[in-house]
Amino acid sequence: MWPGTWRKLLAALNPVSGAALRAVKRLHCPAGKRDTIFALSSGHGKCGVAVVRTSGPASGAALRSLTGQQELPRPRAVALRRIHDPSSAETLDRGLVIWFPGPHSFTGEDCSELHVHGGPAVVGGVLQALGRLPGLRPADPGEFTKRAFQNGKLGLTEVEGLGDLIHAETEAQRRQALRQMEGELGQLYQRWSEELTKALAHVEAFIDFSEDDNLEEGVLAQVDAAVRTLEEEVSGHLQDGRRGERLRGGVHVVIAGPTNAGKSSLLNLLCQRPAAIVSPIAGTTRDVVESALNIGGYPVVLSDTAGLRETQDVVEREGVSRARERLQQADVVLAVLAAVDVDPEPRCFADALRAVLPPGPPAQRAPCILVLNKADLLEEGRGGALLGACGEGALPPTCLLSCKTGEGVDSLLSLLGTQLEQMCGDPLAGSPSLTQARHRLHLTSCLCSLGRYHGYKSLDLVLAAEELRLARRHLGKITGRVSAEEILDIVFRDFCVGK
Amino acid sequence: MFLLRRRRRALPPAPLPWRRRARSDGTAPRWDVVVIGGGHAGTEAAAAAARSGVRTLLVTHKADTIGQMSCNPSFGGIGKGHLMREVDALDGLCARICDQSGVHYKVLNRCKGPAVWGLRAQIDRKLYKENMQKEILNTPLLTVHEASVEDLLLMEPEPDRPGKCQVSGVILGDGSRVHAGSVILTTGTFLRGVVFIGLKMHPAGRLGDQPSIGLAQTLEKLGFAVGRLKTGTPPRLAKDSIDFSVLERHMADNPPVPFSFLSEAVWIKPEDQLSCYRTLTNAKVEQIIHDSLHLNNHVRETTRGPRALVVMAIPCSRYCPSLESKVLRFPNRIHQLWLEPEGLDSNVIYPQGMSMTLPPELQEQVIACIRGLEKAKMMQPGYGVQYDFLDPRQLSASLESRLVQRLFFAGQINGTTGYEEAAAQGVIAGINAGLRVSGKPPFIISRTEGYIGVLIDDLTTLGTNEPYRMFTSRVEFRMSLRPDNADSRLTLRGFEEAGCVSQQRYAQASQMKAAIEEAIAVLKSLQFTATKWSRLVPEAPISTNRSSLASALDILQYPEVTMELLARAIPEPLRKFAECRELAERLKIEAVYEWHVASQQQEIEEVRRDEALQLPEDLDYFAIDASLSQEVREKLDSNRPQTIGAVSRIPGITPAAIVNLLRFVKTNRQRTEHIEHSRIGRPLPEGNTLGKSKFQNSSLSCAS
Repeated sequence: MWPGTWRKLLAALNPVSGAALRAVKRLHCPAGKRDTIFALSSGHGKCGVAVVRTSGPASGAALRSLTGQQELPRPRAVALRRIHDPSSAETLDRGLVIWFPGPHSFTGEDCSELHVHGGPAVVGGVLQALGRLPGLRPADPGEFTKRAFQNGKLGLTEVEGLGDLIHAETEAQRRQALRQMEGELGQLYQRWSEELTKALAHVEAFIDFSEDDNLEEGVLAQVDAAVRTLEEEVSGHLQDGRRGERLRGGVHVVIAGPTNAGKSSLLNLLCQRPAAIVSPIAGTTRDVVESALNIGGYPVVLSDTAGLRETQDVVEREGVSRARERLQQADVVLAVLAAVDVDPEPRCFADALRAVLPPGPPAQRAPCILVLNKADLLEEGRGGALLGACGEGALPPTCLLSCKTGEGVDSLLSLLGTQLEQMCGDPLAGSPSLTQARHRLHLTSCLCSLGRYHGYKSLDLVLAAEELRLARRHLGKITGRVSAEEILDIVFRDFCVGK
Repeated sequence: MFLLRRRRRALPPAPLPWRRRARSDGTAPRWDVVVIGGGHAGTEAAAAAARSGVRTLLVTHKADTIGQMSCNPSFGGIGKGHLMREVDALDGLCARICDQSGVHYKVLNRCKGPAVWGLRAQIDRKLYKENMQKEILNTPLLTVHEASVEDLLLMEPEPDRPGKCQVSGVILGDGSRVHAGSVILTTGTFLRGVVFIGLKMHPAGRLGDQPSIGLAQTLEKLGFAVGRLKTGTPPRLAKDSIDFSVLERHMADNPPVPFSFLSEAVWIKPEDQLSCYRTLTNAKVEQIIHDSLHLNNHVRETTRGPRALVVMAIPCSRYCPSLESKVLRFPNRIHQLWLEPEGLDSNVIYPQGMSMTLPPELQEQVIACIRGLEKAKMMQPGYGVQYDFLDPRQLSASLESRLVQRLFFAGQINGTTGYEEAAAQGVIAGINAGLRVSGKPPFIISRTEGYIGVLIDDLTTLGTNEPYRMFTSRVEFRMSLRPDNADSRLTLRGFEEAGCVSQQRYAQASQMKAAIEEAIAVLKSLQFTATKWSRLVPEAPISTNRSSLASALDILQYPEVTMELLARAIPEPLRKFAECRELAERLKIEAVYEWHVASQQQEIEEVRRDEALQLPEDLDYFAIDASLSQEVREKLDSNRPQTIGAVSRIPGITPAAIVNLLRFVKTNRQRTEHIEHSRIGRPLPEGNTLGKSKFQNSSLSCAS
């Protein structure tokens, strides 16, 4: 029964090179009972300490490889450890780790907690490192709760409210996804999603219908080509260096303004160290000078840029163009003007600002803070007139300070702090790198599956199709799930099948 | 009452709870299970109920139509063949009958991996019917009665179960009553069926049969939601009027592969098998169809004619049902037509792909312009059928309706198309109707266990708006749910939990399963270096660069390697596993998928965990105190998911809604536990004691 059709199958299969089979096999990982999930468990945005939690059988192994120590800490005791990225041995942070062996844990499974510093760079790094470990994957919304529930670990009062929490989280994610989907990146992911879904649908059609119905010639060859294009695009995207830089960045605050307004002095003042050369000569700063600092608990990358002016100097002109480029990427702009150079008229402020800020409607521009420097040089009473004028027009929040005396810096810091809180406290805009870290993980997994598709294609089409299904699922974590019915929709749209 | 045949087992079945109830009508005959309809769902349902040991009555209009293949003369295919293997694994009939009645056996998808091999055969209609009738009439505990069913007998519902009433029997065409513990409706397209040929329409289930009107009214009165579907069948051609010499011939497999795990071989000699032929449509065909559509639009505009042609031709099903819809949706293309034999001594040819609802004279025109059919004689025109189907979301996974207790539905009436889909539902409805009567828990196949599970879960959770057909793309765990291992997946469960599997089949499946497990353990334990393997099996392109040890199971994955080859290289201990050809072939398939199935196991476990979290059947989603949006409540109410797993498959249900439902389930469980505690010390009433008994049985405490 099930009599011999293998011989014929074997004849039909192309001989596969050992290398191909090896490539295919290397990627297997032995199946544990259940996979291990991880997630940032503390909320988004402002936090001094972030908690990353794992749950599942590989929790212990993950803790060992991140701490680089064979010994797990004593159960349920706090231990201070250096946390590495196992793939690069780079130190990510020093933080507290706790080991909760199951069943005495929140979910009933082996769990670990990593308490690290709350910056997106650190948290993103830890999440990425975890995602690269075998058997670990980012948790779906509510998954910790579900596991705890399945393992009989949750009392009623504990589950109460968790649904709302997850709702809030997923709602924010949805809005965030929506916001991203409107952007260029979103369009890119959406296009990939459509192409991959179509490729998968065509393979499924080939499996289900090619024997009975007449599918067009070369369906599989087209799929191969589509998968290769997709692979190239995704891997190119993942290797994009600039985006990686931004990922580790934090909030980009860019200091801009005309020459000699005191931009570099402001940078030095905020960093509390002479990071940039300052001189009375206009056009001293010619390149972008960056400094990372912490303002009100938020990680900030502060950039000082060349003064904006028309110039014949080739080097300075390049500096100005870099300054403009940096302004385009800014999350917050500190527009610095010399208080002595502007009249206390709203119109004058507006003109001066327009010269600094990138063109475009105000709604699409990064938030801006107007800094009036050199307050120490003002005549008595003129400062009040300036601030009064600022209050009249539709101008950004303004502060009057003196880099020389340090007067008024507190009010800038408080304005900036409010701005950062607004940006980071709002999950829509805050911690952009966390979302990106998640995207990166899913895109990497998607790419691995696409690669395996080619290996399996000549061995067994079902295995190859499975890899496309997996790739689709990974991409679907970013762009949304696709149901079997939607796949069938494409099949029936693209092929005339049926009897 | 005209009983065609009635047999009993030596031991009468144990007295059943429902029979103890006092009945006012003491004279009417009583059955455990009554099945209405003798098509593919009805025969499987009746036989499955009888196999599981309950006294079963099959009621049909015409006993002579039992086992009739109403449309295409073939069984199986990709996905459908999988269903047949699973029906067979549960000791169902259609696979075995096909092994006794086929005239052209062919395995589809041979070059695409054994997980999607599609067993298929052209079947001799006459032989199938004869063999099926023989089987049905010889099934112990199964009786056939020829009558029409006009109405259902209803009574007060059992408390603590969903449903406004329960069925207690049926009223036949002559007004007589038949009592039953459970009733299964398998009436196919007979509910308000209307046949369309060209511009003519007349009520009928199939050409020449009467539609069921009384039953349709009763179901409507009971509040069942119905939808309308359409299907069609091609004209039939006279074999001796076709010029096959100009057509592409397609030969059957030699040797033919049987459908059933029990068949050593099929009945027919390989060389006696018939061939199929392929021909193609052309521009002229398209022209005729377009011209006549125009004509019919005109007819509709003048409100003179019925909407027949237009309605039938406008495709609402994505899967092209008719030649008209193919031409309209994919213009300027050539479409395939398969000329399939209807039997060894039949002069009828079934042109698959040619379903039409044009007026007969236009159908003849279409036929005459196709290559090879220039002189073909049309023996019967193609026609379309419109019929009511029952929204299957009103059924639980056991196929019992939630509205009327003990009333089961199976087959085309649930919105499916195809003999195999019908048979699969029939087996499940039959088993569960029997289990219901015996007061045992239902027999549910999960999506992780079989195509049958996917079919029924899709239907009962998501419903359908076109005739539902099985495709392998619907199946998440395609690598593990293969035709070769259907017995390991289902036969043991069928024997132990449903009692619908014979001792002989159970023994055979158990032995095979044990042999495979033993062999895989041995293959895994044989570990050598790549260098040694490439010396032992020079046929395989094993790279000697790899440093780690490889097991014999790893080596068996190479396309070049078979068990025979391995056994020649290492006779001890492999020889005994290569001697049985079936075992050797199954081991090879296991080797190909072993890694992948193992790595998918986590996901399968995840689905099973979610499915173990059951929701009460009678949950009022609009009333429950859980934080759910109105939209989610409406979705839950119309889909009536039975488990958290099913909830997660409903489009538009958010993770938050799932967690809130989990919380609700937990509250509910605590409540029922409380009730249970308070009842301790009292004798429990017979049968289902607590309304939420299912709920208690659910493995909410499963993990830990």
